Amino acid sequence: MSTPTTTGTGARSVAPIAAIVLTYRLLLRQLVTRGRVLALLAVGLAVAAVAWAVGASDEVTDPLDASVGVIAGLGLTVLVPIVSLVFATAALGDAREDGTLVYLWLRPIDRWPVVVGAWLAALTVSLPLTLGPLALAALLSGQAGTVLGATMAASVVGAIAYSAVFLLVGLLVKNPIVWGLGYVLIWEGIISAFGSSAAQLAISGYTRSIVTAMTDVDVDLGDQSLGVAVVVPIVVAVVALVVAARRLDRMDVA
Amino acid sequence: MSDWAPPTAATVPPPPDPNAPTPMVQVANVTKAFGDVVAVSDVSFGVGPGVTALLGPNGAGKSTLFRIMCGLTPPSQGTVRVLGADARADREVRGRIGLAPQQDALFDRLSAHRFVEIAALTHAVPDPAAAADRALEQVDLDPRADKPVGSYSKGMRQRVKLAAALVNDPDVLILDEPLTGLDPVQRNRMIRLFHDLGGAGKCLLVSSHVLDEVARIGSNVLVIAQGRLAATGDYRALRELMDDRPLRLRIATDRPRDLAAALLGGAYVDGVSVSADEVIADTTDIDRFGRHVAVVAKQLGARLYEVQPTDDDLESVFRYLVERRR
Repeated sequence: MSTPTTTGTGARSVAPIAAIVLTYRLLLRQLVTRGRVLALLAVGLAVAAVAWAVGASDEVTDPLDASVGVIAGLGLTVLVPIVSLVFATAALGDAREDGTLVYLWLRPIDRWPVVVGAWLAALTVSLPLTLGPLALAALLSGQAGTVLGATMAASVVGAIAYSAVFLLVGLLVKNPIVWGLGYVLIWEGIISAFGSSAAQLAISGYTRSIVTAMTDVDVDLGDQSLGVAVVVPIVVAVVALVVAARRLDRMDVA
Repeated sequence: MSDWAPPTAATVPPPPDPNAPTPMVQVANVTKAFGDVVAVSDVSFGVGPGVTALLGPNGAGKSTLFRIMCGLTPPSQGTVRVLGADARADREVRGRIGLAPQQDALFDRLSAHRFVEIAALTHAVPDPAAAADRALEQVDLDPRADKPVGSYSKGMRQRVKLAAALVNDPDVLILDEPLTGLDPVQRNRMIRLFHDLGGAGKCLLVSSHVLDEVARIGSNVLVIAQGRLAATGDYRALRELMDDRPLRLRIATDRPRDLAAALLGGAYVDGVSVSADEVIADTTDIDRFGRHVAVVAKQLGARLYEVQPTDDDLESVFRYLVERRR
């Protein structure tokens, strides 16, 4: 799997793509634990259950509006960031905490492939645990024809950005889950209170905008164009991964 | 490092002799502070091929020094060069270092073979599976065992770490307390392996806090205590120095005042103090002193309940070396 390259001094180093694959496979195996998967699956199924309840309710005057409200308010603002938080902070943060990071750090490998491999591993676990329950939520709401595509697109974009940001958080602080929850519940919550202009500083502002643009349902704080709503989170992800690689290079490793 | 010497400014770092071989690991005036705590203080030495033991009590700064050498943490002051490069900045040199860290952290779900194979892959070793086989056989582990390392005993986990450190055939091996948890047979085998690797031109730095272990690990010894390099040199000279140091003994007896008076002014006694039921005596010749105490007690008709050194632990040895250096 590893492609050795040899420098002029005869020393070996691992090619970037091989390093990404190696890191990805190693960390993916470490990330998937039964406890994490079951707990987050339960959260996802709870969102789907709420969507079903809303879709089946006779008291809802506009079922499409209500379904989009559940998916944006619970799915994109709670489920996607929380699932991403758990796996992305653990991707390198667990290795940093338990002392196994040294087995990736003290190697003839550049830092950025390690970060990218870890991010891809986190995404690989996060996406099924967000897309699956949210697809189910869209189906159970009875509005799948309108909201399914928008939900999937917004979830993927959100997971890409949240995973990169939380991967960085996992390398920066000792209790990344606490800090991440603070970001999701306090920062994005406070920002939301200041209206759609301030929502540009929150990832959920962009995922909501994707849903608005693709469903024509006016979601709160989702005022960006589709192009901006897709590009900005991806730019955020790239910047977070670059900073994470620099952080990995300069950090103290136990 | 053939002669025993406290590390004075005149001897450390080695004088720049253009004909002298460049040390494989060169530590120059390295200090490392964590906030207000100074873990390593102005340490300098150079080591070449062979086995060098780093001796010091727990918390002396051995692991921090090793981490600095590997680039895992930068020094607050000073420089470290491994094979002429800074492992923190130089990707290639990281491929020529093998580290067995002190902490008992492994990817617990993996088998030993997969763990070591991944170490080979991350070093871009050709044919990593075969390299993992060889490394595991070197440390007397079965390459075909498929149990996860999380179920391994402490000694087996230590050997898995050693195999992972060996798998890339590194020029410099840094082994932090590698014999912890091994049974006597395995210790002997690993020590023999260290000497074989040292004899093959590898540079091995092996830490321990156990004096007798160090006697067998290597004749070259670096003693670190309280973050300082207390002494460097040959183990036999270290042993002699330690045997010559003043020793304090507690003598429990039914007639402490009479015994103290009889001992005071006698041979082999440097000082005596007395309390309600014991005598504290200082000596530099413990064997003769012990015989002398027995004779004196018999002459007095005093009972001896206990004759016990009060400072025969390794900590006091290091304290002595550090104080001697000042």
